[in-house]
Amino acid sequence: MSTPLLQLVDLSIAFDTERGPIVPVRDVSFCIFPGQTVALVGESGCGKSVTALSIMRLIPQPPGRVVSGQVLLDGRDLLTLPEAQMRRVRGKDIAMIFQEPMTSLNPVFTIGDQIMEAIVLHQQVSRREAREIAERSLREVGIADPQRRLDEYPHQMSGGMRQRVMIAMALSCQPRLLIADEPTTALDVTIQAQILELLRKIQADTGMSILLITHDLGVVAENADVVGVMYASRIVEFATVEDLFDRPRHPYTQALFRSIPRLGRRVDRLETIPGAVPNPASFPPACKFHPRCALTRRLALQAPAEQTRRFRAGDEDIVLMSACVSNSPVPLNYRGGPPNTSNESDEPLLREVAPGHWAACHFTENYAAAAMTRPILDHKRLTATTATAAAPEASA
Amino acid sequence: MTSDAIPIGHEHVPPGPPAEATPSFARIVLRRTFASWRARVGAAWIGLMAFAAVFAPFLASSHPLAMKIDGRWSSPLLQHLTAADVILLIAAFTALALLCVPVAMSRRMMLFGGVLLILIPTAYLTIRPPATVVYERYREWEAAGRIERAFYAPIPYSPSDRLRDQPQASLRAPDRRHLLGTEVHGADVLSRMIHAARIALAIGLIATGIAVVLGVIIGGLMGYYSGTVDILGMRLIEIFEAIPTLFLLLAFVAFFPRNLYIMMAIIGLTSWTGNARFIRAEFLRLRKQDFVQAAIAAGLPLRSVLFRHMLPNGITPVLISASFGVASAILYESTLSFLGLGLVDEPSWGQLLNQALGVGGTFTWWIALYPGLAIFLTVFAYNLVGESLRDALDPKLSGIQ
Amino acid sequence: MIDYIIRRLLLMVPTLVGITAVVFFVMAYSPGGVGATLISRDAELRPAERRALEEYYNRRYGLNLPRPLQYLRWLGRVSPVGPKSAHEGFPRGLAFGLKAPDLGESMSRHRPVGAMILEALPVTLLLNLITIPIIYSVSIYLGIHAARHRGKLQDVGSGTVLLGLWSIPSIWAGVMLIGFFASREYLKLFPTTGLHDVRAESMLFLPSFGPEGFQRGWLLDTLYHLVLPVICLTYGGFAFLAKLSRGAVLEALMADYVRTARAKGLSEKAVLYNHVLRNSLLPLITVAAHLLPGLIAGAVVVETIFGIPGMGKLTIDAINARDREVVLATTLVAGVLSLIGILIADVCYAIADPRVSYDK
Repeated sequence: MSTPLLQLVDLSIAFDTERGPIVPVRDVSFCIFPGQTVALVGESGCGKSVTALSIMRLIPQPPGRVVSGQVLLDGRDLLTLPEAQMRRVRGKDIAMIFQEPMTSLNPVFTIGDQIMEAIVLHQQVSRREAREIAERSLREVGIADPQRRLDEYPHQMSGGMRQRVMIAMALSCQPRLLIADEPTTALDVTIQAQILELLRKIQADTGMSILLITHDLGVVAENADVVGVMYASRIVEFATVEDLFDRPRHPYTQALFRSIPRLGRRVDRLETIPGAVPNPASFPPACKFHPRCALTRRLALQAPAEQTRRFRAGDEDIVLMSACVSNSPVPLNYRGGPPNTSNESDEPLLREVAPGHWAACHFTENYAAAAMTRPILDHKRLTATTATAAAPEASA
Repeated sequence: MTSDAIPIGHEHVPPGPPAEATPSFARIVLRRTFASWRARVGAAWIGLMAFAAVFAPFLASSHPLAMKIDGRWSSPLLQHLTAADVILLIAAFTALALLCVPVAMSRRMMLFGGVLLILIPTAYLTIRPPATVVYERYREWEAAGRIERAFYAPIPYSPSDRLRDQPQASLRAPDRRHLLGTEVHGADVLSRMIHAARIALAIGLIATGIAVVLGVIIGGLMGYYSGTVDILGMRLIEIFEAIPTLFLLLAFVAFFPRNLYIMMAIIGLTSWTGNARFIRAEFLRLRKQDFVQAAIAAGLPLRSVLFRHMLPNGITPVLISASFGVASAILYESTLSFLGLGLVDEPSWGQLLNQALGVGGTFTWWIALYPGLAIFLTVFAYNLVGESLRDALDPKLSGIQ
Repeated sequence: MIDYIIRRLLLMVPTLVGITAVVFFVMAYSPGGVGATLISRDAELRPAERRALEEYYNRRYGLNLPRPLQYLRWLGRVSPVGPKSAHEGFPRGLAFGLKAPDLGESMSRHRPVGAMILEALPVTLLLNLITIPIIYSVSIYLGIHAARHRGKLQDVGSGTVLLGLWSIPSIWAGVMLIGFFASREYLKLFPTTGLHDVRAESMLFLPSFGPEGFQRGWLLDTLYHLVLPVICLTYGGFAFLAKLSRGAVLEALMADYVRTARAKGLSEKAVLYNHVLRNSLLPLITVAAHLLPGLIAGAVVVETIFGIPGMGKLTIDAINARDREVVLATTLVAGVLSLIGILIADVCYAIADPRVSYDK
């Protein structure tokens, strides 16, 4: 296996609020290999954006705080770098594009000024050369007449074009990793497809890695090599995109797939996941998904009584597997101490339940015997363009 | 389904206390405004000034409250109370009493208005203090020994008592008898300042009230009707805004008689434009909202739609502006008095300040410091409250950071 | 843009007419009217002489005409386009056309009003031109500082201190400054009144070293006289502008484009001065327009206290003397300055913000 470009090791981030610390990212570990597209999927509030921003150290340090963990770029921990050196990484080694292209560009500067700002900062070039590089970047992202566009302002462009400009700006210094935080959520579906295709093309041309943050499984299916599913500030499943779509092993992922309407299938009512994403200020004990989990309910129906717990909610009785719920009173808020590898809180942690497939659920097949390792996959999907570029390596 | 469901057979987590009824918006805002110590200090000072204003005749008067002369008891102070004094006293007590009664605010305001309506004409018709006052006589009687017992107000000088019976009364430095010294005509500075609090607060509140009412009406009509009404209104606003307010005030005040009520009206007339702009913007925004459309569609009369539905929702910037408006009205009144264009016989902080710089570069520090301090503290107090009110009403600061 | 400016200039005319009409009729309908003070000064007159004097003044200033007609007469005289005599202006020979505006003659000082204004206006403008940059630079600095340390002591403390400064009445500040720094009883650091020293006429322009030692020179002397008045005019402006700039900087700091700038690797200082400052200056420009009328008014008090012969003092003296012509003229000039100030601010805003354009 080649060496990973970026490696997150047990990253935990806390925010100190007036009402106490909340922890939106807990023990997140994964790797990104050169030329790979890793997708982080999850609903709003699961911590994927905070993870991405933490890689770039763009979380304001009060109230944000790194509780533990490392972010290794070529083996160098970005979290301990002095700020001046981190600034050299930003934009040059790692670039980021954001969700809202309208507000992400400064309205009072021209496109050209903003792109050249990054170029002049990271490369020792004259202003005229910077302008040429900027022009080239615009052409690469498919903007016609780049000479004229350089002197235009953001409000004179459409949403799709602005996102292209953002991409051009991000790529102008040839980063090795592009973090794309919901790059197409604010765009029309047709433009969405164009932007994603653009990213794929650039990746094929330059061998750049992409960390794609999204909540859209369709986008994941078309673009990702490796997928991490996040729920309640942890990664709950991690696999290659083929394995994930073929056989999701975590009840949350399974529920996500069930809720996607399928062509040709007739239903009276679309399936949803009942309940809501938990608020980091008040996580449920043990498995964070248990209040909404269909698996634990189904298993509890047939399990012996001593393995289950009864609850009263409103005027119903609910029966869940006791392993999913804490047996003893547990503080509901993760207080910011060292990560819990001894499983004291009964929360299921990520284990490699199948070769190259990690899941964090007590009742996934193989879970009890599986080893607790950090996910690492250098898989790249087989497509027409990548098949000739590099021999795909088998997943570990 | 929920994570706080109660496990049977294990530790029983008792249900929490019943949720409190959510307090009204006004109550939330009031609580948030006065949560900060700055607003509380400001409100305390305003309260102190209000107390001084209401009880001025009892705090500073040359007339004894009770006097036994020639064997008979009398109360010159009460005899010399003017109609205005009595009205203020009774109104203040009524207001306090009404605040303790558990009745809706609007009903309270109606009752208060009714009381005032009866009180004011009655007072002006029945209360007739003696026209001429000779302040020196109490001191002469004291010297002559005619007064057996007398109880005076804490500051035994009336604001217009020029101490004509005492030599060198004018411009005395502060001492035991005159805590803040005397002014150029000989009157006691502290006494004049206490009575001036009345003028300041009255002008501040009433002038701002006029400005608010005028601004709300004009701005409301502009915001609701748009079209020609709006265009005409905007021209009017521009005209009033292009002239510096002080210029306009000076022009008005210099050419009209120096009357308290005219002053209030004039200051109000020159400061309504800000309120009109706020209400216009709010009404333009609210007009498109569904609840207003529903009210109109239900056939409610215009008056009801404007005042019961739209106004309570759009009033917040006007409230903030009103607090700052009182401060600026007090500043204007002081400035006009300082420039010699204020009220003639009523005491005023600004007019006192004017005496501080004498001819030839003389400077009387106590007349400069204390009245100026009074103006500053009162204006600061209203500004503090207004600022806290603004922070409390700012949607960006509420809740999510 | 040009036609926008022209349109705005033309729109100024009805507003100016409105302003002067309001002031005119306030004076005209006041009890005692305008002419009263003219007569009352010469009090020891026999009735016949008094009547003759009244006749004279009435005829001279048109005081016996119906009031709306008086206003129209004034308007015709002041406007550059109006009734004129045949041998002046353009075209010659006609009774109507372009002419130089004539602001009339002062009733109390019997001098052409235009000349009086030309003497007073530069003084007030000088005061304002010194004051405005000081207010702006200090406020922007304070606002940035407060925004960067939001919520901490510097922010909350400076906010309260500035609010306190704003609450200080300028009359009090002026009196206290003069009392403690410019009077006989305490420190006589600064001159009490006036814009120039008594010997100003004979001074050289620049400071120099003469036989008697250091000579201030006219320039330094004027500035020396302006120190206390400028202090009086500036302290109040800080609070308002600093709060506004704090708000604008805070809003800009939370914007997405700042996040993008940081993601590009820009230093915090570059982010602040390049991106944040440009955007937060925009609301400050709009406010500048409304600062000007306030400063003109503030100058009234300061000029009166410090005895500076500017527009403010001219107006106060005229109002006290009920000198209608001067009051109207100063109102007109103040109105023109305010409206032009607003126009300049709007144009500057359009230049600064590329999203705003006045072209159709």
